[in-house]
Amino acid sequence: MSEETESVGTNTTLSDDQRDALQEIANIGMGQAGSSIARIWGEFVRLSIPRIANVERQDIPAVLQQLVGEKNILAVRQAFHGQLRGEVIIVFSGGPPSELAELMGYDDTDRIEELELLLDVSNILVGACLGGVASTLGVDIGFSAPSIMGIDISPRDLIPADEILHSRALFIEVCFTLEQRSFACHLVVMMPAGEIARLGKELDRFLETL
Amino acid sequence: MTEDIDRGLLEFIVERLEAGVFVIDRDYRIVLWNRFMAMHSQRPAADVVGRNLFECFPELPQKWLARKIESVFILKNYAFTSWEQRPFLFRFNHNRPITGGIDAMRQNCILLPQKDAGGEVQHVCVTLLDYTDTAMYQMRLNELIGELKQEKAAQQELIKKLEDTQGQLLQSEKMASVGQLAAGVAHEINNPIGFVNSNLGSLKGQVENMLSVLSAYEEVEKALTGQPDLLTSLQQAKIAADLDFLRDDILDLINESLDGVQRVKTIVENLRDFSRVDASEWHHANLEKGLESTLNIVWNEIKYKAEVKKEYAGLPEIECIAAQINQVFMNLLVNAAHAIEERGTITLRTGFDEREVWVEVEDTGCGIRPENLKRVFEPFFTTKPVGKGTGLGLSLAYGIVQRHQGRLDVHSEVGKGTTFRLALPRNRAAEPLSDAS
Repeated sequence: MSEETESVGTNTTLSDDQRDALQEIANIGMGQAGSSIARIWGEFVRLSIPRIANVERQDIPAVLQQLVGEKNILAVRQAFHGQLRGEVIIVFSGGPPSELAELMGYDDTDRIEELELLLDVSNILVGACLGGVASTLGVDIGFSAPSIMGIDISPRDLIPADEILHSRALFIEVCFTLEQRSFACHLVVMMPAGEIARLGKELDRFLETL
Repeated sequence: MTEDIDRGLLEFIVERLEAGVFVIDRDYRIVLWNRFMAMHSQRPAADVVGRNLFECFPELPQKWLARKIESVFILKNYAFTSWEQRPFLFRFNHNRPITGGIDAMRQNCILLPQKDAGGEVQHVCVTLLDYTDTAMYQMRLNELIGELKQEKAAQQELIKKLEDTQGQLLQSEKMASVGQLAAGVAHEINNPIGFVNSNLGSLKGQVENMLSVLSAYEEVEKALTGQPDLLTSLQQAKIAADLDFLRDDILDLINESLDGVQRVKTIVENLRDFSRVDASEWHHANLEKGLESTLNIVWNEIKYKAEVKKEYAGLPEIECIAAQINQVFMNLLVNAAHAIEERGTITLRTGFDEREVWVEVEDTGCGIRPENLKRVFEPFFTTKPVGKGTGLGLSLAYGIVQRHQGRLDVHSEVGKGTTFRLALPRNRAAEPLSDAS
């Protein structure tokens, strides 16, 4: 957990208090996520301190590249909805996480369906992280099924700027690594500008309960 | 909210929803099994409720599914399966008993955690949706995409062929213009060389005559002993002109010039033979003559590389486009010379029977490797260093021979040498293949 908390771009919608609260909640949520995943896989995961950033539309491709690196990637997206709405992108830079096949209950005698494994692993990570954040914040969210976004593509091409619907997005980025295995992936939570106000309200409510 | 709704209505919805709904508890026991599941699995709820899911359906991928359900209990989170990666969880009949086209119902499943008041997951509720129609559309779409890709590949291949052909055409056009230029130059040179040659011939006779007259005059000198002044001035004039040397040299000069002009004439004739102005006309021609004139054209390329042996059989004339056949000879001769690294032999052999005539060009060069042998006629195939060969020569030659309804064969042994054999029919078929073929 050596990575610095840093912001990319300027935060115009969340107040400093709200931002600090979100950082705290993200930290706690990711901690919970780590222990849940350890229970499922029986292995310790390392999670970086979440990085929170407010990103303008035209900067989104560049920021994504800055967060996940230059190399070509495999990416999965999954949407969440309910009291908070947004999308999560899970980026695997080292190809399909075949190391995890056994942990996910795939028989090594079967032909491993790599993409299904990718979706399963993504679902677990997203569920654990967002579930952790949502339960800390005390909100109820649901998920839609994950889907493959791109195979062997450049992070820059992941979301073309002109296809983005909102003028601004809030990014929360976490990096996962498994201690026993050479597995790592990035998870980027993205919330559209319109949702940030709702998140702000939830954060205020949370602060009041302290 | 649910308290307000009629319980019977909720039961009806769960039971009759056009989707599979079933619920399992922490021990994988089936708690609820709706009508859709019962109908499609042909296992009524009474049969399975209260029993372990994997006992009732041993064909399920137990290890993987148990892990998945476990993760829902622990993470209190959704889980999913998608038909694209896992066509189905339960093998159910699809809804196309008549139209068919697919082996079993395609399914998307959602595993939903049901939490108690304390937030602990008590049950996992599984919704199973029939995605067969979507899957069928997708399959059809994929087939179409596959066909499009194939078509695209075929088009690419065609474009490549077109490019190759264009390259060949360009090359042959280039050769044709070079030929025309050469023919034009040859024609222009031919006239002046003609009169220089005949003038030199006349000059030689006249100089000989003059020299004999001069000899006659020299006889007269003896009669001039009485006039020493005259004799002295004559002697001085002869010395100044170096008459003795001049007498010997003047004829040598003329003879050498005649020889030189003769050589120019030969070159011009060869050039004209090689690139006839009527380059695309069919004529009766003797291939040995064509081979000879071509050999003279490329002699500079060959003379330091190889001794040329000729084993001519005295070919009959055949109908051909001589300029084009000469181009084939040129390619074969230049290739033979290039194949020889230090010094070797090129043997030109001809022969004929009642059906065809043939010409062989055999070299003692490096030979062609078997894997390259079948590619030598491919356009742009070359083993020569970049810049040295275009890879077009032999493909061009091949095209020409094909248009003549002949054959161009190659035999080669690495380290020993290569033989190209050109065979042309003695009588060409009434309708020659068009140039475009």
